[in-house]
Amino acid sequence: MSIATVAVEPAASNLRLLSGNHACALGAIAAGCRFFAGYPITPSSEIAERLSRELPRVDGVFIQMEDEIASIAAVIGASMGGAKAMTATSGPGFSLKQENLGYAALAEIPCVIVNVMRGGPSTGMPTRPAQGDIMQARWGSHGDFPVIVLAPGSVREIYEETIRAFALAETYRTPVTVLYDQSIAQLLETVELKQPGAPVERKWASGPPEKYQPYAPLDNGVPAMARPGDGYRSHTTGLTHAENGFPTQTPEVVERNIGRLLGKLERHRAAIESFQTLRCEDADVVVVAVGISARAAGSAVAACRAKGIRAGMFRPITLWPFPEEALRRAASGARAVLVPEMNAGQMRLEVERVLGRDVRIEGLHKISGDPIDPAAITARIEALCI
Amino acid sequence: MEIRLGGTGGQGLILSAKMLADALARGGRRVAQSQTYEPTSRGGFCHSDLVVSHVEVDYPLATAIDYLVLLDRIALKPSLPLAKPGALVIADTRLCPELPEGKYTGCSLALSRTAIDLGSERVTNIVALGALVALTGVCERAALERAVRADTPRSFLDLNLEALEAGFRLGTEQSVRRVASPAPA
Repeated sequence: MSIATVAVEPAASNLRLLSGNHACALGAIAAGCRFFAGYPITPSSEIAERLSRELPRVDGVFIQMEDEIASIAAVIGASMGGAKAMTATSGPGFSLKQENLGYAALAEIPCVIVNVMRGGPSTGMPTRPAQGDIMQARWGSHGDFPVIVLAPGSVREIYEETIRAFALAETYRTPVTVLYDQSIAQLLETVELKQPGAPVERKWASGPPEKYQPYAPLDNGVPAMARPGDGYRSHTTGLTHAENGFPTQTPEVVERNIGRLLGKLERHRAAIESFQTLRCEDADVVVVAVGISARAAGSAVAACRAKGIRAGMFRPITLWPFPEEALRRAASGARAVLVPEMNAGQMRLEVERVLGRDVRIEGLHKISGDPIDPAAITARIEALCI
Repeated sequence: MEIRLGGTGGQGLILSAKMLADALARGGRRVAQSQTYEPTSRGGFCHSDLVVSHVEVDYPLATAIDYLVLLDRIALKPSLPLAKPGALVIADTRLCPELPEGKYTGCSLALSRTAIDLGSERVTNIVALGALVALTGVCERAALERAVRADTPRSFLDLNLEALEAGFRLGTEQSVRRVASPAPA
């Protein structure tokens, strides 16, 4: 079903009624995305549908590829050609993209992958929400690789985080996944969209071509890319490579290059991390949640506070790298931490890793395809306070 | 305020909820409209919910429904437990003929019969929208009509506008009956 945009009455003229997937498409355009390759899959298809109309209007390219693997391959190629490029998928489609996602991470090709989470595993429940790809988004491709994953929690935030995804991808030359669930993807909300800033550009190679090394890092640890046609000799491969871009298995060269790759995002963690804290300062129970579960958690915190129960919420917006220190600070005074998530317990593992055994940590997990109700979270917070 | 349009896949519930969301948004209200449907293009339990507020909507999914529209009996069991005490439940006489006893105001209307008489059962959703708005005044009729016009393909526009008008009439007549007889079923 196509979703039209509605401008509301003059009293609230900046408000628009948008779906999450529509907001994602608009965010991509605002961020300077001019290439999309995808294969339709519920519940992400509206992103492709919308971009098939929006991209030609800005001289961009939309391609419906033969499958998900080809889609991300085309996105990587387009990005190497100089375009800001994106693909969008869901469920099994995200699994299919994993090999090339790892390729983009190793070859340091900026690109954005949207994954709208639906019920799994396998074909699962195409039209039902889930949050079962939290760990896959971090560890889905083989080997050790750096990746950024952003987890917006509202239609407005999908717009903003899609823009930020492109900025981070370009700045750090890395794939960035925008991860949200069906509930928010197909939710229509009245939103006021911020005027976006100028699109962020990656660092292009400059200086004498004979001295250019495609994987020699600049001062910030990120190498400059060779723009096709600028006269720089470049070589790109999925094989482990040296600074000159050619394959190597020389241990010290591998150690140095993969070490830099893995340290690249850690080094800029402060600029990449993003999170929301809600009344954590005096909270006895801190709820850690993302996406639609965080919307329920926010509602539960308000309900608890109205009853005099000191509850708070910590919401990672940058899900990976996980905002570790911020969570430690937010939960420093808590007696218990509750992790409601629509999976069998994925983010809970990360929360346990970060907070250790100093605080009681419980999960509230749901795998039925139904979102977690605010009342269920409220009840668990109350139980943890006894 | 929370509204649910419930029925079965293919009845246009999501589209009609979007029209209602449009109408409310045009009036300056904050709206969150969600949807649940089955992978099949026809059949299965389907619903689209609206959470409406004067400020930004906190939790966007329905948890305590004020106005429930049932276009098929399949929606009855999963939806009724979410109806607030005192909620208004509008049910189609043909496809959801039996409303169990409960702490809500039941209102059976010939929504699909009216649509069939107009020439197509497919406009039952629009008849229902008209009836809902006439009965509850959740938004201006003119705002709803603008939204229906904006979201309807040209080939369906006349029929949809007739269906909307018929829905307004059904709802208005029912309101008059309710005032005359203050003990609704």
